[in-house]
Amino acid sequence: MSRQPMPTGATQAYIRRETERILGACTKCGKCFEACPMTRYSPAADGAEPERVVTGILGLLRGETGSPEALGWTSVCVRSGSCVPACPDSVNPKLMVRIARMIAAGGLGGPKQLQLKEDRDYFNRIRAFAKLQLTDQELADWM
Amino acid sequence: MSEKITFWYGCNVLRHGDIIHSCLDILRLLGIDARAAGGPDYCCGTGKDANQTAADGMARRTVTRFNAMERERVVAWCPSCLIHMKDFMGKAYQPQFAITYLVDVLHEHRAELAKRLAHPVPMRVFVHKHLGFNDKSAVNQKVPELLRLIPGVEVVDDAYAGPGYMCTLLGTVPAAMEDMVRETVRRVGAHQADAVVTTFHQCYRELCGLEAHAGIRTFNYIHLLAKSIGLPYEDEYKAWKKAGTNAAAIIGDERIGKVGVEFFERAMLPELVKKPVGLGPKRVEQ
Repeated sequence: MSRQPMPTGATQAYIRRETERILGACTKCGKCFEACPMTRYSPAADGAEPERVVTGILGLLRGETGSPEALGWTSVCVRSGSCVPACPDSVNPKLMVRIARMIAAGGLGGPKQLQLKEDRDYFNRIRAFAKLQLTDQELADWM
Repeated sequence: MSEKITFWYGCNVLRHGDIIHSCLDILRLLGIDARAAGGPDYCCGTGKDANQTAADGMARRTVTRFNAMERERVVAWCPSCLIHMKDFMGKAYQPQFAITYLVDVLHEHRAELAKRLAHPVPMRVFVHKHLGFNDKSAVNQKVPELLRLIPGVEVVDDAYAGPGYMCTLLGTVPAAMEDMVRETVRRVGAHQADAVVTTFHQCYRELCGLEAHAGIRTFNYIHLLAKSIGLPYEDEYKAWKKAGTNAAAIIGDERIGKVGVEFFERAMLPELVKKPVGLGPKRVEQ
C-alpha cells in the first residue's frame, strides 16, 4: 500500500472537474427543480420557472452572481435527493446544487452571496458532550 | 473475531455515549473486531461548505488516518460522513478501505443478530424516515426489518418520509422542520403508536424532546436493539432533555466541572431546554 503523503487541494480540484462536467451535461430542462420537495420553503424559488432557476444555478457554477431564485433554491436544499432520479441526463443535480451552495457561500474563494450559519462552539460542544459520557481512556483512544 | 473494521461514529453522536457503546457491543457480539474512531479529529468536513480549504484539509487528514489503520472496512454511523466520503473525500483522495453504513452491516448479520435479541420489547413503533440517503443505504427498508427482529416490537406501516437525508439541514429551514415534526406527531397519533423510532442521531436529538414536551416516547433503533439484547447503557441525553433547566443537577458537579460551568450554560444547556418546533399552533407566513 502506498504511504506517500497525499498532496492537498484534491477536493477543490475534484469540485472543479465536476463543475465542468455538470456545465457540459445539463440541458436546463428543470426536472430537478420540479422534483424538489423544498422549493415551497423559499419565497424566491417558490413558483419560479424551472429553466430560469437552473440557469441561475449554472451561472453560479460559472462564477457569476446568483439570481434570487437560484440562491433561494440553494439555501433550502436539504439533500433529499429527489432530483437525482428526475434528471434525464445523469447530471446529479444534488451535487450540482451542493457545489452551487459552496460557491455561493464563498467556499471556493469567490464572493459570499449566501450567508451560512457559523457556530463557533460547534467542535468544542462535541468535545464537551464526549467528556460527559466517555471515559478518559476512551477519549484518548477513540478521538 | 473475523473481520477487522473501523467504526467511524462521527461527531455529533458523541452526545449519545450509550449509542456508541451499544454499537460497539453489538458489532463485537456479531464477531466483528471494531475499533472506534470519531470526533473533531476524524471529522469529514461536510459542514464546511463555506470553507473548502478547511474541508479539503479535513478530508485529506481523515482519509490518511483511516488508511494508516489498515482495516478492511470503515463502517460509518453518521450518514453525513458516509455521503461526504462517497461524494467528495473518496473521490478526491485515495481511500485504501471500503466504506459501508452500519445499518447494512447489521442487516448483513441479521440472522446472527436475531439470536441475540432475547428480551421482548413490547412496543408499537412509528419509524421516522427521510427521503434522502436511501441511494447510499436502503435504511427506510432495512431499519424496520431490523426492528421486526425484536420480540414484541410491532412496526406500523407508513410511507411518510420527510425531506432531507436526516434532520440536520432541516434545522436551517425552520418551517420545513416544523412541518416534519407536526406530521410525525400526527401520524404517531393516527397509528396509536407507543413510540417514534429514529434511524439517525440528529433526528433523535431533534425528536427526543417530544418525550419531555408532548408525552411521545422516542428512541433510536439502536436503543431498542440494545434493550432486547440486555445491554446496560443509560440514555443520559434523553434524561437531560427531560430535566431541562435542571439538567446540571443530574449531570453532577464533577462532570460539569470537566466542561466548565460557563461553557455548559452558554453552549450546551440551550439545546437541552429546547422544545421541538411544531408542537404549538402552526405559524402563519407573513
